[in-house]
Order: sequence, then C-alpha cells, then structure tokens
Amino acid sequence: MQPIQGIQLTPLQNTTQKAEVTEAENSFANMLTGLVGEVDNQQKAADAAVQEVHAGGAKNLHEAMIAMEQADISIRFMVQVRNKALEAYQEIMRMQV
Amino acid sequence: MDIFATLKIGASALKAQRTRLNTISSNLANAETTSTPEGGPYKKKSVYFESTPIPFSGHLQSSMNKEVRGVKVAKIIEDNTPPQRIYNPSHPDAGDDGYVEMPNINVLKEMVDMMSATGAYEANTTTIKSAKRMAMKALEIGR
Repeated sequence: MQPIQGIQLTPLQNTTQKAEVTEAENSFANMLTGLVGEVDNQQKAADAAVQEVHAGGAKNLHEAMIAMEQADISIRFMVQVRNKALEAYQEIMRMQV
Repeated sequence: MDIFATLKIGASALKAQRTRLNTISSNLANAETTSTPEGGPYKKKSVYFESTPIPFSGHLQSSMNKEVRGVKVAKIIEDNTPPQRIYNPSHPDAGDDGYVEMPNINVLKEMVDMMSATGAYEANTTTIKSAKRMAMKALEIGR
C-alpha cells in the first residue's frame, strides 16, 4: 500500500502540452518527408523505366509511360499538399492577435 | 494509393495484348513456313489469358481490390489442327507423294485477330487515360 499523496498536476500538464506541440511538428514534418520520399521514388522508377526502354531492356513502352504518369500524379499531389499547408500557415500568420 | 490500381490493371492488359500481337505477328510471318527446328510445318500459336490478382503490398489491399483482377498470358498454345496439304513436287519439303505440308494458318483470321488485339489495346489505354483524368479532377478539388 502506498501512502496517499497530493497529485502534482501543474508540471504534468505543461509537459503534455509541449509533447503535443512537438508531436504535431514531428507528424507534419514526417508526413511531408514521407510524401517527398514517395514522389522521389516514383520519379526514380519513371527514370529507370525510360532508361530501360532506351536501352532496349525488358520494360515495355507502356510501362515506362505509366511510370511517368504515376510520377506526374504523385508530384501534382505533393504540390497540392504543399499549397494547402502554405495556405493554412499564411492564414494563421494573418490572424489578428 | 488506390488510384494506381487502375493503372496496374491497365498495364497488365496492355502487356497481355502486346504478347497477343507478338504471336499474331509470328503467325503471319510464318504463314508460309514449311520447315521448323522441331520438324514439320509451322503451327499456329495463340495466347491463353488468365486473370491475376493485382500486386499490392498486403495491408493496402482493401476487400474491394481483392475482387478486381489484372490479366496475364498464362501460356502460348499451339494449334494442332492438321496442316494444309498442297501439291507441289518441286518443293524441297515435298513428301514422296509430291504434297507439301503448309502451316495451318488462315491469314484472314489472323488479320481479324490483329484488329481485335489493337482494339483491346486501345480500350485499355483509354481506361488508363480515364484513371488519370479522374486523378486530375480529384486534384482540382483543392484549387
């Protein structure tokens, strides 16, 4: 049995708040990094496919075209995400305090 | 991403149709070939399609996507209908009775098959284009 003690609320609250902020920062950064990594992978795949078509490799023409389309869609999606994030940031910066 | 599933299915179909066109091209090229390494005249080849589940990293595969299938050429089969026999005693491959065994290929049928393969290829490129157009429309929501 432990003796009953007063609950220390104040410091605990502070740390959780700080943790939440860093978590939000981290999750946003992670998301963006992940997205950029994904787009980069798609671009590299498209690049490899194009090179293989030029070298007369096993890849078919349509596979290279599809890889390029995928890369195109991915990069457009990433640009949209970036635009949205920037819009939200600017909206917050314009806020009157 | 699910939007790429259509592209994958389309790609598999395009690949299958290309293989089909390759066999048709081989059949047309060898429509008059009377000797092959295996002996005898060339035999008509045709493709055998089989549906395949689209390759996905396991946890991304929703129950809906389990039902949609790509296609692949499982094997190329030889047509074993007997060869056409044509009387031509001067031909090097002519038998003792003067008849030559010609391939069992009907050029007209091959041409029709080729048109069908081209049509299927076009249809599948159109699905890919539609998928892309849909993706672009989805991205326009944000604008």
